[in-house]
Amino acid sequence: MREKLVPYGLLLPQIIVTVIFLAGLITGITQSLGVIPALGLTEPTLKYYREVLSDTGILISIGYSLRIAVISSFMAAVIGVFLCALMVTGKKTGGGYMRAVQLPIIVPHVVVALFAVNLLSQNGIMARVGYWLGRLQDQQEFPLIIYDSFGWGVILAYLWKEIPFIIYFIISLMANINEKLGEAATNLGAGRWTVFFKVTLPLCKNNILSGSLIIFVFALGAYELPAILGATTPRALPVMAYIQYIHPDMQNRPFAMALNGIIILISLASAFIFFALMEKSSKRLKRRKGE
Amino acid sequence: MKKKILALLMLTILVISLAGCSGESSDSGKPAESLPAAVEDMTFDEMVAAAAGTTVTFYGWGGDEQLNQWLDDEFAPLMMEKYDITMDRVPMDIDQILSQLSGEVQAGQNDGTIDMIWINGENFKSAKENNMLYGPFVDKLPNYNQYIDTGSEDVTLDFAYLIEGYEAPYGKAQIVMIADTAATADLPVSTAELREFVQRYPGKVTYPALPDFTGSAFVRNIIYEICGYEQFLDMEADKEAMREAIRPALEYLRELNPYLWNQGKTFPDSSTALDHMFADGEVVLNMTYDAYGTAVKIANGTYTETTQTFQFDKGTIGNTNFMAIAVNSPNKAGAMVAINEMMSPEVQADRYDTIKILPVVDYDKLSDEQKEAFDQVDLGMGTIPQDELLEKRLPEMSAELVPIIEEIWEEEVVGK
Repeated sequence: MREKLVPYGLLLPQIIVTVIFLAGLITGITQSLGVIPALGLTEPTLKYYREVLSDTGILISIGYSLRIAVISSFMAAVIGVFLCALMVTGKKTGGGYMRAVQLPIIVPHVVVALFAVNLLSQNGIMARVGYWLGRLQDQQEFPLIIYDSFGWGVILAYLWKEIPFIIYFIISLMANINEKLGEAATNLGAGRWTVFFKVTLPLCKNNILSGSLIIFVFALGAYELPAILGATTPRALPVMAYIQYIHPDMQNRPFAMALNGIIILISLASAFIFFALMEKSSKRLKRRKGE
Repeated sequence: MKKKILALLMLTILVISLAGCSGESSDSGKPAESLPAAVEDMTFDEMVAAAAGTTVTFYGWGGDEQLNQWLDDEFAPLMMEKYDITMDRVPMDIDQILSQLSGEVQAGQNDGTIDMIWINGENFKSAKENNMLYGPFVDKLPNYNQYIDTGSEDVTLDFAYLIEGYEAPYGKAQIVMIADTAATADLPVSTAELREFVQRYPGKVTYPALPDFTGSAFVRNIIYEICGYEQFLDMEADKEAMREAIRPALEYLRELNPYLWNQGKTFPDSSTALDHMFADGEVVLNMTYDAYGTAVKIANGTYTETTQTFQFDKGTIGNTNFMAIAVNSPNKAGAMVAINEMMSPEVQADRYDTIKILPVVDYDKLSDEQKEAFDQVDLGMGTIPQDELLEKRLPEMSAELVPIIEEIWEEEVVGK
């Protein structure tokens, strides 16, 4: 019995954190269903979800948040894998290169946002240099890269953060495969890019997908980049949720929680799709092995 | 085994959430009972005696460095010396303060952590209606009865909402606009002039995105200018009626858009952001609730010496900000002594002198000596004389209309 309990004892810290997290999650979901006894709200209702989902402004926000999350995770994966492949095939995985990859990962998102403002706003360093060189008649002529309503500023900032994340996430696996199985393939006469596309990439696929899913879910639910670099409208879902949360009328609290609920639902749905894909590909792999 | 652990885990979660629920339901209905009866029956002198040696926490927005310094370096030592009370200033945004307070009230905590709160407007209304404030208490405070014009609307109404003794005045604020006369010699004092102004300086004028406090007040001021203010003082909170009533003002704001910073597609996310853009020269017009704060900023070099504050000819919105006491405050006596002291003519004159905050005491109720303390104050550069400023002071509209206007602005003005 004791031996059986030891692992759970070691897991205790994790369990405590999970319980606290779940308690917060459950409170949030309860509040999104309109149950906050302190404010005199006791009847569970789907009214808040219904109202939120019938508001065109919020539908536009959902689209905006999804767009940012999809484009940033997709582009981060493609560019990250490409750069990673260059590093691996060129045997440039040494200390200096890895430091360069790690640096953006440790910089907090808020700091990245402030960098972007300092660099890319119409009063930023680039606009000033352009004006000083005489390229721009006025700093106002500098193109609107951040604060745009498509979300390019936010996406660019995410890419700066997340491309290195993808590289860091897959580089050791990729280097390993490339070295062992790749060499074997090379010996059998495959070219450098054939090895990459036929051997390395398929074997890294699940890791790349995991990495992109993390970025997707993060970009969908994170507040700071769209808050600082986004346009006034459309607002990203988390920004909307925050504004509803600080609404002076406390009776608005369920709306904020319903918006959070939508973020959670989209994240869960994408996680399910992701795991279904993983399952399928690992089954296929097993089947091949079985043959 | 695995299943057992899982079941145990789920049970724990269930118990935790149930415990939370039962705590809420048993206590939420009767916060009024949590008031210790003792404070109710005390005279002010007894409160002073009871509060000696205690600590009073003062929760409020902490974004104004000068005010923070004044509270820490002037007010706190005064309270210690005079009453042996330790003042503990806790800088926090009002929405977080109210979240914390509602959490405590929800959990049935009778001895909370918050004593005094800096508050006004919609937040006051929401807190009072959700039974989160202690009161009425102001009539127990000698300085309130002696020096405040207790009948004036600045003191009985907060955003057209009846105060009923649940908060005491702290300072007065009024919207003014700011421009550098070296960059823009002409200062727009009407909406027509403002339109010419933005056309003359395309891309260099904007205002903070609503629901920012200052941006919201600026838009209300434009609405007052174009639609008149009287109709809003007792208007019903109905979104479509409001949309109809402010249609001309919305049209005007849309007309400004093509000439604004980023063509009015994006607005700075806060008044702090706009302050920086103005100090940086990215925009040529700024606005603030802190009518005399500009003098301080000129003195410390943030703004140039040619910077000037100005108002619309028809007036600008002013409001009073207040101090309230949390319903579960563990030290209500101490909080009342501190609030009383904050309203003394000496403290109000000191605030007026060092941090240029409009006083709440009634000038006519002061002794000649006290009047002199106010008369001597040098308002500094770039300011509007107090009598002129207050003469063009417009009342705030009802608190519940404010979020409605903010929603309509987002739907009808941004990027349109």
